[in-house]
Amino acid sequence: MNVVVVYEWARDPADALVRADGSVDWRGAKFVPGEDDAAVLAVGRAIGAAGGRDVVGVTVGSGDATWALARGVERAFSVPELPETADDALTAAILAAVVRHVGDVDVVLVGDAVAYPAVAPTLAGALGWPAVLGVADAGVVSDRLTVTRRVDDREEVLSVATPVVLGVSAASAEKQPPGMKEILAARRRPVVELALSDLDVTPIDRLPERSARPPVSSAARLFTGTPESCAAQLIAALRADGVL
Amino acid sequence: MTADWVIATDSRRLPAMVHALRGLGGDGVRVLAVGSPALAEVAAGACADSVTWIATDATTPAEARTPDAVRAVLESEPRAVLAASTPAARVLLGAVATALGAPVVPGVLSVVPEADAVLVESSDLGGRRLRTLVAPVPFAGLFAGPDVVPPVGVRPATVERVAAGTPLDVRVEHSASAVGAGVELATAERIVAVGRGLKSKDDLALVRELAERLDAAIACSMPIADDFRWLPSERYVGRSGQQVAPRLYFAVGISGAPQHLDGVRDAKVVVAVNSDPDAPIFRRADYGVVGDLYEVLPALGAALAGGPSTATREEQADE
Repeated sequence: MNVVVVYEWARDPADALVRADGSVDWRGAKFVPGEDDAAVLAVGRAIGAAGGRDVVGVTVGSGDATWALARGVERAFSVPELPETADDALTAAILAAVVRHVGDVDVVLVGDAVAYPAVAPTLAGALGWPAVLGVADAGVVSDRLTVTRRVDDREEVLSVATPVVLGVSAASAEKQPPGMKEILAARRRPVVELALSDLDVTPIDRLPERSARPPVSSAARLFTGTPESCAAQLIAALRADGVL
Repeated sequence: MTADWVIATDSRRLPAMVHALRGLGGDGVRVLAVGSPALAEVAAGACADSVTWIATDATTPAEARTPDAVRAVLESEPRAVLAASTPAARVLLGAVATALGAPVVPGVLSVVPEADAVLVESSDLGGRRLRTLVAPVPFAGLFAGPDVVPPVGVRPATVERVAAGTPLDVRVEHSASAVGAGVELATAERIVAVGRGLKSKDDLALVRELAERLDAAIACSMPIADDFRWLPSERYVGRSGQQVAPRLYFAVGISGAPQHLDGVRDAKVVVAVNSDPDAPIFRRADYGVVGDLYEVLPALGAALAGGPSTATREEQADE
């Protein structure tokens, strides 16, 4: 069986420049590892090692496909031509098609990204599999997965049968990024590039954008002057708001 | 008969989602409540026309009831389905959207009917732009608008309990509080949170002093707990940490990474103190001071103590 780790599947919203008319200039920004991707990979490696599964990387868009290969993944699939869309379901449908193409997969791990919150659950929907989101960690117990997640102020441990999609939320940053040796070795590992036509996916954007604008008041009320002056103005404002 | 649906696995933003769907002017707004009897009761008071309730228990999470949820929503002809952006609600929405063949819009703020489509205003790029999308019918969305309080004395909607089918093989083995004794961030009225703008652990004294003056709990961003271990992990606020909803959230030296801001989305008033004027935290904050926290925090302490601040003295001098 295979465990699929999905990585570098979106741009970082922080890379976008929003113009005064609401239009977006990505300034050539490429897809980058998401803030959860390192955690996704760590969980994937743990499940792979414990359960005798091969770990397969899947990436879409313009990112560097070797990112996961430098972190212990033996092979990867890439779909470079991801269409621009506001529809998380379309992104998920493409990812689901890649998972089917990989074949013999019973666990899919993807970052439970704040900026793209519907991709992980809709990927599960597209595969027809159960899903658990907000996952902090997962391991293998006999033929099932034990999944730890945070739900508000409680920690839950769930037992989950496969196949399953897990949306992973990082609780820490990557601790040991690969060195130059691993990065160079990754470039020799296989990356299979797939076209949307290979996947039998027709990308139709069902959510055309009619208009866009910056929020009316997107910025904080900033206090200026000396620290003492700023502090006095701020405290006065908070008292006027009734929160002090 | 068509209906618009709210899928709820907890009470967050439930009345607001019902209110938003009223804007479509359809035949009715229904709530699918997947959870405890208490959730069904809250749903009944959320101004919906009816509530369909799928019960869960201590070992059966809402996600296990996905097939029941899909079946319940598809029995009508939904035009729009909204859910809050919580993990369980998103799982149910993802399955329903796929079954409907519907696109999914994150960050939904409002919906307006237009001919055979729906105009959906949504928040994009972390709230830096608002976009209006033309969504087909049916469509699904994750709601991100502010919550509303239902009017007093509203007549409760009828609650219909659905007989549950065979659940998916997902079960809760163990559930325990993840919060240590004395750490009550989830219910704190005021919080002072500190980030990587702090230069050393010893400097936490500055933060503690401000927190004491504000009668506030102390929290932090992920690196302070995870990388530096200056504060215990249960004080880390963010998507994978504590979700907080204080009346006042003081972010000191916190840049405002998306995963952190996700943990403070329900804070009422956010104050940011940061030396970087371009820090994302200022886009979420209501008030901000661009400055060195090592100068601003003592000044705040003095102002809170009621001593004559420089500003006051300057104003008096002007008079």
